[in-house]
Amino acid sequence: MLKKKQCIAMLLAGGQGSRLGILTVNMAKPAIPYGGKYRIIDFPLSNCTNSAIDVVGVLTQYQPLELNAYIGSGSPWDLDLAHGGVYVLPPYVKGKQGEWYSGTANAIYQNVAFIEQFSPEYVLILSGDHIYKMDYNAMLAYHIEKGADATIAVREVPWEEASRFGIMNTNADNIVEEFDEKPKQPKNNKASMGVYIFSWDKLRAYLCEDAGDPGSSNDFGKNIIPNMLRDQQKLYAYDFEGYWKDVGTIESLWEANMDLLNMPMPIDLYDKRWRIYGRNPGVAPHYIAEGAIAKSCLITEGCEVYGRVEHSVLFAGVQVMEGASVIDSVIMPNAVIQSGARVRRAIVAEGAIIGAGAKVGEDTGNIAVVGQNVKLAAGAVVAAGEQRVQ
Amino acid sequence: MAMKNVMGIIYTGEKDSYLRELTLMRAIAALPVAGRYRVIDFLVSGMVNSGIKNVGVIMQKNYHSLMDHLGSGKEWDLHGKNDGLYILPPFLTRENVGVYSGSLDALHSNFGYIRRSKQEYVLLCNSLIVFNANFNEMMDAHQRSGADVTMMYSRNPDLRRAENGTYFEIDAEGIITDVEIDPTRPRHENTSMEVFLLRKDLLMDLVDRGAAHGYHDIMRDVFQRMIRDAGMRVRGYAYEDVCYRMDSVQSYFKFNMDVLDRTVRHALFDEAKPVYTKVRDEMPARYQDNARVHNTMVADGCIVDGHVEHSMLFRGVRIAKGAQIRNCVIMQDSVIEEGVTLENCILDKQAVIKRGGKLIGPNTYPIVISKDMTI
Repeated sequence: MLKKKQCIAMLLAGGQGSRLGILTVNMAKPAIPYGGKYRIIDFPLSNCTNSAIDVVGVLTQYQPLELNAYIGSGSPWDLDLAHGGVYVLPPYVKGKQGEWYSGTANAIYQNVAFIEQFSPEYVLILSGDHIYKMDYNAMLAYHIEKGADATIAVREVPWEEASRFGIMNTNADNIVEEFDEKPKQPKNNKASMGVYIFSWDKLRAYLCEDAGDPGSSNDFGKNIIPNMLRDQQKLYAYDFEGYWKDVGTIESLWEANMDLLNMPMPIDLYDKRWRIYGRNPGVAPHYIAEGAIAKSCLITEGCEVYGRVEHSVLFAGVQVMEGASVIDSVIMPNAVIQSGARVRRAIVAEGAIIGAGAKVGEDTGNIAVVGQNVKLAAGAVVAAGEQRVQ
Repeated sequence: MAMKNVMGIIYTGEKDSYLRELTLMRAIAALPVAGRYRVIDFLVSGMVNSGIKNVGVIMQKNYHSLMDHLGSGKEWDLHGKNDGLYILPPFLTRENVGVYSGSLDALHSNFGYIRRSKQEYVLLCNSLIVFNANFNEMMDAHQRSGADVTMMYSRNPDLRRAENGTYFEIDAEGIITDVEIDPTRPRHENTSMEVFLLRKDLLMDLVDRGAAHGYHDIMRDVFQRMIRDAGMRVRGYAYEDVCYRMDSVQSYFKFNMDVLDRTVRHALFDEAKPVYTKVRDEMPARYQDNARVHNTMVADGCIVDGHVEHSMLFRGVRIAKGAQIRNCVIMQDSVIEEGVTLENCILDKQAVIKRGGKLIGPNTYPIVISKDMTI
């Protein structure tokens, strides 16, 4: 029996994020680099640490190697603890049978025994797909105060986009009366953020019921929440007003990076009381050479800039050589932009080399992508919207 | 040779009067350098990268900032169950007054730690030279030669100082034949890097005998006598890579400026031997629309909107629009307001230069602004 915890977190990090195209061929979506030195999963993990939630089970399934190595002992997030910490939970064989996680609810169901070790009263369900800073502890206080069975964090989205989200129809007391998954005619614009707090006894009962239903897709949004509503359980919406971005597509990942270039930043990453932690590359400060231009951009440690960088985000160890120019782009760790190359509205993945004089992307149009470790020949051209894997 | 069998001991009690305000509140080892490091990071990382698992750091005065920086040794992977990082502050006992008069005193006070360590060899270092070494080759040379003690030295003329430093005369065989300490005019071109490799039992014997004779300084009272009286074989080991000595404001300034040079930077920050330091989880540096930055190193957490040339910006520095910075070293969290002009300045941590301020030092003698000062 482990030390009892009031609330533990379960982070769903097994999704592929297939709409991210070639970027998620070798890694799960939560491992995608973001913002110059982070990965998407740093946000929920840091939120947990900053909210004093110190048991985090990370459910992995799709391409977990990069993610496992990144999480390691959890020390960057102060989650290497004697009592609690971070636990990576891949699917495993039980008795004679074993199975993959068939859905978000099934992933939690298969780890009931893990959760029970901590005898929690509440379980926080998170996803590893979003960029946001949120105090889960405040949400937990709300859940307890309302005496809710489940609390769902919601954020108002523009009405015209509401049909892309799971929409919570609430009454004046913020009690959820109805849940519409991607409604054609939305009645409300409160979108579920994929952040739930459940009273554990209730959730366990519904997970068990769901597991016995062969027709279920074992999903929180499609099955667990509707089943709880059917039984008139107390479901509350918890309003969240800060920055929240689903980086599910190439365009939105690019946009989320560009958002950081606006001042004031829509998400304040300088806030010392709510730092976002991550694994540090441990390299020297970056260097801007004589004759180089660095304007309206974010540049991190280990970079060397001899060329021109404007309105872009450079990750650790990126080199921009003489005469090369990078504008409106995201350059992931250790990529090299060789002399005279021209990069516009593009995402260049980790370790890619853009040969001398090559052209990636255009001033307008869709985002061009150069995949991980791709070596682009001198003078090569990658058109707007093109994804180059070799 | 497995470096697992070597323990590192770093002595951090060097004299620091030429560093003026910079070492008022910290040891030289804790001096911030190269944008995000402390002097001691290079040595500890070098030891760890060479395979040393047991590192003792002897603290002397003002060791708070050093202890805070090193912490549990986690950043250097020195927080394991076996060995790891040992912080050795001075302490009062019957035979120890709590302040060391020299390195020999310090070693004698920590005799128990040295005896209990299971390694057979000791790599004994002072902390005022910045270099990124792999000590394996020195260990090989030491064992091949059968020397009693191997001392690292450099022929780099920049390390030579009047009235300061230790200089070796070395014969064709590599044997150290004479040692001069703090001569007015160094006569030998081999400057001691203050890195000594010897067997632990020999060190313990020398420390014990030295203390019994009332000696205080291991170099002057023990090693120099050993060499002069030719009782033991002491060999030199030449270090050929870049190295800098942090013993004055000028040399501190020069080091930070030299790191801007590609060759120096790449020699010190080689992917194969990373330099570890305490992590601060700052976001990447931000360049605003008016930023114009040339030949400058910038650490994470900085926000730059002014003109910066040939300078070193540590973590979290703010440079406002219209500020002009040239040849400056600006430490952590300092704030430069609008319209400020700075040239040849060293700003210690959290310094604030208010709107319109102007400070221009001669390039041979940079202005030093103390920690937390507002001007």
